Amino acid sequence: MTTIIWTWVAAFFTLAILSFLYKDNPLYKFAEHVYVGSSAAFTVLYVWVFDAYPKLVIGFKEKAGMQKYMLVIPLLLSLFIILRFIRPLSWLSRWSIAFTVGMAAGLGITGLTQGFLVPQVQASFLPLFVRGETVGQTVLLTMNNVIIVFGTIFTILYFYFSREHKGVLGVSSKVGVTILMLTFGASFGYTIMARISLLIGRIYFLLHNWLRLV
Amino acid sequence: MKKEVPLAITFISGLLLVLALFIPHKPFGNLEEIFNDWFIIVSGFTLLLGIDSLLGYNFHKIKRKDKDAPFALILILSFFITLAWGIIEILRTPEHNPFSPSSTFSLYFYNYIFIPLQSTMFAILSFFIASAAYRAFRAKEINSALLLVSAVLVMLGRVPLGQDAAPYVISVIFLIFAVYFYAESTGITETRTKLIYILVALIFVALIYPLGWVYFKKHIPEFADWLMNIPQMAGKRGIMIGIALGGIAMSIRIILGIERTYMK
Amino acid sequence: MVNFLKKLAGIDRRIIYLAVFLATAVPILTKAILKIEPLPEVRKAYEYIESLPEGSIVMVSIDYDAASMPELQPMLETFLHHSFRKNLKVIMLGHWALGLPLGQQALEEIAKKYNKKYGEDYVFLGYRPGVAAVIINLGKEFRNVFSGDYAYTPLDSLPLMRKVRNYKEIKLLYGLEAGAVGDSWIQYGYARYNLPIILGTTAVMTPDYYPYMQANQVISVIGGLRGAADYETLVGISGQASIGMLPQSVIHLVIIAFIIIGNVGFLVLRRAKK
Repeated sequence: MTTIIWTWVAAFFTLAILSFLYKDNPLYKFAEHVYVGSSAAFTVLYVWVFDAYPKLVIGFKEKAGMQKYMLVIPLLLSLFIILRFIRPLSWLSRWSIAFTVGMAAGLGITGLTQGFLVPQVQASFLPLFVRGETVGQTVLLTMNNVIIVFGTIFTILYFYFSREHKGVLGVSSKVGVTILMLTFGASFGYTIMARISLLIGRIYFLLHNWLRLV
Repeated sequence: MKKEVPLAITFISGLLLVLALFIPHKPFGNLEEIFNDWFIIVSGFTLLLGIDSLLGYNFHKIKRKDKDAPFALILILSFFITLAWGIIEILRTPEHNPFSPSSTFSLYFYNYIFIPLQSTMFAILSFFIASAAYRAFRAKEINSALLLVSAVLVMLGRVPLGQDAAPYVISVIFLIFAVYFYAESTGITETRTKLIYILVALIFVALIYPLGWVYFKKHIPEFADWLMNIPQMAGKRGIMIGIALGGIAMSIRIILGIERTYMK
Repeated sequence: MVNFLKKLAGIDRRIIYLAVFLATAVPILTKAILKIEPLPEVRKAYEYIESLPEGSIVMVSIDYDAASMPELQPMLETFLHHSFRKNLKVIMLGHWALGLPLGQQALEEIAKKYNKKYGEDYVFLGYRPGVAAVIINLGKEFRNVFSGDYAYTPLDSLPLMRKVRNYKEIKLLYGLEAGAVGDSWIQYGYARYNLPIILGTTAVMTPDYYPYMQANQVISVIGGLRGAADYETLVGISGQASIGMLPQSVIHLVIIAFIIIGNVGFLVLRRAKK
């Protein structure tokens, strides 16, 4: 019985959001505000459950010696963030923000170079002639490698704005645009696919769980 | 003090991580681990930023008796009800965790209120994107035609019925192009250009059978694979390398204290 | 006739909405399941998981929430069936806190079907903020990130976790990605520690992961509802993704039809203006 009632609640909220398609209306606004309010509460809850409690409370309880004293630093930095809500001390929150920004920058540099640029550039060094088992295969494999190597280079060149796109740069950036159009088209096709899948999920809920037609 | 200390903190933390990548031994390796641990703790608290202004803004709306005041009240109520429900479950459940499957928070609130709200919010985008595709995909020139064709081929190549439908779709598209080019040619007086237009129209008609009914009828899934793995991949790689270079440059500026917008 | 064709360029959005709705709902009502030929990349992912010896430890990362549930939940469920059927040990964690219960509920439910025991056959760690920092530190020592599981039980009192110190013991990371966390798994987990990775991604994110696949930085990528349906087919389950293939096909055709109609209207209008 409880499941049935709760399924009706879920169906109500689903239909309330869908009603936006007709036009903006109080029912939609109601659902939207419930969503925003509860998401914010969610954040507070999981910061406590998965961060503050296990890392700080349990940390202070279980760690010993130097490790325990060192926890004071992140504790202070975390408290400083909350101090933002108190005007005269809000400047202290900049220390915490500065720390997270510095860390994010450091992590970004290392991840992007070691984990992205180097391996991606390496993977683009492909032979421009590949011998396959048949002539057709040779043509296809060679063409694929040529597209990968020059497609990548020309796309990068297209985004190079320090010189006017004339001459060689002009031609290469034209090829770059062609590759980009294929890329964006494919991405757009995938995006449509994704959004439709989400709708299928919701309509399936309405037809299966709520109305029990399927 | 108010400026120098944050700049120093950013510089030290950022530089340490870069150094630790090249010298992973003591002391940098250990310091990296400790700093990461602190980051894990502190970055959780940064998620709380904004909640104060969200609540403050809505309290203000209620006080001012704004026309949206009832909704502001609903937002605040749902914030506190959700929070209270969660706290009760933290105290009540043996796991002290409102997100665990045995808690009523997870069982009822999450499954029957939160999931429908969040997933429907994103599901309605499908209607907008369908309408946007109809409006935006217009073959205005060669590049937009390429964009359109690439999207259509991927959409056909990635679903099971696409293969059966491909010959018809290709036939219709090519016929439209053929009719369009023929219609254009009627208005042209110069013989050479006129002939070229007619020729293009004829080529489109001629391609319908071999491309649509022979090649795509059988191979559209493989063609979509190729499109994704070769040209699409190359373009994506180019874009992503550009973004990565930009990200690295930005990070260096932040560490060196040139970029300071985050301090405002 | 010409006037009618011109009108095709400006169909009211509500007609499109209605068509989209019907093209989704009607095929679902038919309950038909289409036969599909799995994509090569999904087959590769499946074969890698098949090749893992019994008892191997695999890790699942919940990096999505209810917004992408229809695409990624079937991928998660299929993976759990696949793993438990093969007697693999599963550790679950997540970087998207809002989606954690989706992961844990599926884990508990499917583990029960295979009579798996919590702590021995599977463990749910939970969430820690800080994505990249979490991934890097897990590679050094799990205990420094998670002193306990989601219920604060110390890791060393869970038999499965006693064997795990860092990524050396993890034979596969299966990340379910609705955003950029997958990049972090690759850029830190694989780049620094050679963590073998298979990603299940939403269709929006899928094209972004092709460069990583070509560079062999990931084993493979299962993309979108189609990828999920392929994986279900390979494992032999007819789940929600397989049911979704008919509506997905129909609606693609409807949208393509609208694009074509729009273009006919557009071209006629443009000619009329000349």
